[in-house]
Amino acid sequence: MQLTKHWAAQLDDYVIDLAWSPDGGLLAAASGAGPVRLLGAGDGGARQELAGHAAGTNAIGWKPRSIGAPSQPGHAILATGGQDGAVKFWDGETGQHTATTRLGAGWVEHLAWTQSCLAAAAGRKLSLLNTDGSITHAFPDAPKTITALAWRGAMTGTPPSTSSISASHLSGSLPLPPLLAIAYFGGVRLIDGQDFSVRKELPYANGIQALVWSPDGRWLVSGNQDPSVHLWIPDEEAELQMSGYEGKVKHLAFDHGSRWLATAGGHDACLWDCAGAGPEGRTPAMLPHDSPVCALAFQHDHGLLATAASDGTVMLWSPERKQPLRATVKMPHAPTRLAWSPDDRLLAIGSEKGAVYVLKSDS
Amino acid sequence: MIPVTVLTGFLGAGKTTLLNRILTEQHGRKLAVIENEFGEVGVDHQLVIAGEEELFEMNNGCICCSVRGDLIRILGRLLKRKDRLDGVLIETTGLANPAPVAQTFFSDDEIRAAFQLDAIVTVVDAKHVAQHLDAGDESVKQIAFADVILLNKTDLVAPADLDRLEARIRTINAVARVHRTQNCAVPLDQILDVGGFNLDRATELDPKFLEPEYPFEWAGAYALPAGSHELAIGRGGDHDHDHGEPGHEHHHHHHGNGNELDVVVLPVQSLHEVELDRARSRAMALFAGEPAPVAGGSVVEAGPARHRLLLAEGSGQFVLEIARPGLHAVFEECGEVPLHIQVAGETVKPQWQEDFHAAHEHNDEVTSVGIREPGELDGKRLNAWMSELLRTKGGDIYRMKGVLSIKGSDKRMVFQGVHMLFDGRFDRPWGHELRSNTLVLIGKNLDRAALTEAFRGCLA
Repeated sequence: MQLTKHWAAQLDDYVIDLAWSPDGGLLAAASGAGPVRLLGAGDGGARQELAGHAAGTNAIGWKPRSIGAPSQPGHAILATGGQDGAVKFWDGETGQHTATTRLGAGWVEHLAWTQSCLAAAAGRKLSLLNTDGSITHAFPDAPKTITALAWRGAMTGTPPSTSSISASHLSGSLPLPPLLAIAYFGGVRLIDGQDFSVRKELPYANGIQALVWSPDGRWLVSGNQDPSVHLWIPDEEAELQMSGYEGKVKHLAFDHGSRWLATAGGHDACLWDCAGAGPEGRTPAMLPHDSPVCALAFQHDHGLLATAASDGTVMLWSPERKQPLRATVKMPHAPTRLAWSPDDRLLAIGSEKGAVYVLKSDS
Repeated sequence: MIPVTVLTGFLGAGKTTLLNRILTEQHGRKLAVIENEFGEVGVDHQLVIAGEEELFEMNNGCICCSVRGDLIRILGRLLKRKDRLDGVLIETTGLANPAPVAQTFFSDDEIRAAFQLDAIVTVVDAKHVAQHLDAGDESVKQIAFADVILLNKTDLVAPADLDRLEARIRTINAVARVHRTQNCAVPLDQILDVGGFNLDRATELDPKFLEPEYPFEWAGAYALPAGSHELAIGRGGDHDHDHGEPGHEHHHHHHGNGNELDVVVLPVQSLHEVELDRARSRAMALFAGEPAPVAGGSVVEAGPARHRLLLAEGSGQFVLEIARPGLHAVFEECGEVPLHIQVAGETVKPQWQEDFHAAHEHNDEVTSVGIREPGELDGKRLNAWMSELLRTKGGDIYRMKGVLSIKGSDKRMVFQGVHMLFDGRFDRPWGHELRSNTLVLIGKNLDRAALTEAFRGCLA
């Protein structure tokens, strides 16, 4: 298989987040300094320049398309969260800033969309917002700063390297009731997305860096400071702990089939087989890099895993194969983000020096 | 690595004054400020971040295992920029224990890789700190953890009180650099990039601090003929106090009875340092033994014995018996008490004399212990001792720094620690430098003798 350069663009600062619009026509690229650029998927041309957040932007996310609804490219909505404690909403077509919601003094670091609303975390505050910026629900403060958010069965999450799946493979099964997992030092709280009640507390006596649900909603996984990976099956009151990582585990991704869990906390990406009873007692596949792994992303509907390391190396892997390594490319700067386009054909790579590369994968 | 300066000090001591001074005078550098009492720093500085102290207690609330979660998050975010920062300033709240801040830089791999804790700077309100120290609150820790101490608001305190205060601070933390300031006016090169956690500095310590605490305060060596001479103690007669410089200040404490003075008189071959060192060691051993009382007018024989001279109103006359002519070293328990030797009515001047740090009676339970030992250490034994020490005493040991000579390595082992967290690595080769070991511990209830002995036990 081949990875070829499709186009490249340059932002003014560190690429802190990347997100493809639901129809795949635009790549939103946020610079840590604040501005967000909407780049055309075909040629990388700047379609819109959004001001973002004055003190810096932290996270971005497109509102997903409703299941079964026809594509409405003109109405894609992008949410951004920043150091100013605000969430802003933007019209993806016109670049128009449509609404601002101030959540307080804390940085807005985590955003996670469902079909209808946006969960936003700022410090210990968690809020659910409508697309017009109004607050549906403001929750009581979490015990500590919220460090990750993940909707069960979500369309897109943040960061993009966590759960990013498309609607197609959920069709045929009933959609899961919305359940939001929030992580903080000390555990994970599961919140009912409809009545906002706390459904479950999952204690974990350390810092949590990342959260991901398996697309089938069975597994909830945290990447931890201690350093380890913790897995819960909330419906079965079961949990597993996988330790032995070199450093804190900041990167997690599940494949679309909910079997392969990719994790990284050091020089290797570590791939766990979560089929059946789960990875306990199994030996993970090690996907080696020469320097610390700094991003992971599975394709939405296909099996490729992209991993990136701080020396600029980006590798593609097929977990099912005996020789899983499929392709290697080297970027001139350390990557920060990986994001597959909705059709899985384009891989966007953000870098520390502000460059955005989009590669085309042809198998 | 981006240098990080931590500013601690009680509310009102002058932290914000110092912070504003740094930001004003360092406007050319890209500095980020993480402050806890928001709104005090000039807001035109674009990289001022309000942090809310959030402790991550990694191990059941043990303070030795606590780190600052907010710092991990904020520092992690500060790395997400295209251009490097020149430095980070962290202002802690007045009541903060500095341990979790320092531990953050040891325990988080990402932070450890990108940032270097340059120095903990503690601003002390010279007028009010004594009462805080008496109360034994966090101000003691703030001083104990410091690499640099600004004794601020000196204009509000009399010079003699300042001396006393500085001496007290020195007993708590013997290795920090102390600057006396008004309005925190200090050259910024004394605050930023000072390499306080840089271990090279451990060898720049005040050499006096590293000496063992001797049980005697003064020693002198006299050339004496054989025979019976007069040993006069105290201010009797019109003799001048002939040892010690005029006005020399001992940090004097009365040792028990003012009408007793313990001495040891030992023959020495020469004034060569090796000989003197041998005599010091022998005297130390003798001072550990039981003294033999000597009444006024009685004989004191030169040789291996600890004599307890019994005085009347602080004075006494004794007979010093010298069997073989030559140099003799006299070790005196209390350096303040005049001591004269007269041969045939003539007072003999000592050919060499030395004042020693006495084993002070410390009022503060937080102190510094310095150990300097020549030779090479057995790596395994050192490791075993250090593990045991940190396991059992880690809660009481606030900070530790050292440069060690490990057998089998031609490089210096430099290390530092905060409570139970410990970071050691080999740096440059010793080269022509004399291989030796320097270790400094600052903490609570430290037993200098036991630590020194245990450390010696690690010598190869």
